[in-house]
Amino acid sequence: MTGSQHAVILVYSTSHALRAERLLQQAGIGSKLIPVPRHVRSDCGVCVRIERADQEAALQALEAAGVEIEGVHRI
Amino acid sequence: MTQIVDARGLPCPQPVIMTRHALRESDKVTTIVDNETTRHNVTRMAERAGCVVRAEEKEDGIYLHITKGEIPQEGVAPQPAAAPVGGLLVLLVPSEFMGRGEHTELGRILIRGFFHTLGEVEPLPNTVIFFNSGVKLVVEGSPVVEDLQTLHDRGVEILACGTCLGYYDLKEKAAVGEVSNMYTIAETMLRAGKVISL
Repeated sequence: MTGSQHAVILVYSTSHALRAERLLQQAGIGSKLIPVPRHVRSDCGVCVRIERADQEAALQALEAAGVEIEGVHRI
Repeated sequence: MTQIVDARGLPCPQPVIMTRHALRESDKVTTIVDNETTRHNVTRMAERAGCVVRAEEKEDGIYLHITKGEIPQEGVAPQPAAAPVGGLLVLLVPSEFMGRGEHTELGRILIRGFFHTLGEVEPLPNTVIFFNSGVKLVVEGSPVVEDLQTLHDRGVEILACGTCLGYYDLKEKAAVGEVSNMYTIAETMLRAGKVISL
């Protein structure tokens, strides 16, 4: 994606992804639930896309709420 | 008798309107344009109306040869009522969920994923038709309304059934696309080259 300033946070289940989305929304961090991009992982799953600039804040918010992160990837 | 529409130098939306009028009177229209945006808009309008468009780039302009119905093959008589060659790609959304499992949460995740992905894969559908509970997706605040807006901006026609919007009392809340009716929806499906239902 040209011009993309995004990163995706991978979690361990779809319900974790929904929970993460809600937590980020409450923390005022913009996010979008999207299918995991093919170049990151080929088996289907959903992840949470955020602006790269929000990565620190997002990871902190999720850690504080006890949401386990599988990884973060720039896209 | 081919009708000629000289749309060179005319601002949008005149070329599209003039071409549409000409197509009401004649099965063959040649619209001459002088820029890519107009070429794209006229072509898209004609293809959505079930026509075939052949572009010829000449020194003094781009000649868009528009024919109603499908291209007659060399030496083969045109088939009446056959689908246009290639044809329009139509996507049906008969529910606010994707798939028929009993867990609406999964259906919601899937439909959100689908409309996000449509922005990244090809080809784009020509038209997306929402009916039954699918109309909830075109309403302000729906989880896919932004993606639908993006698709709309890229030239995808978005139609939502008026009866269904009325049933859910959402007619005033449609945020993207056009409110349509059974005639247009049925025609669009019947004239399509390919119809995909979620």
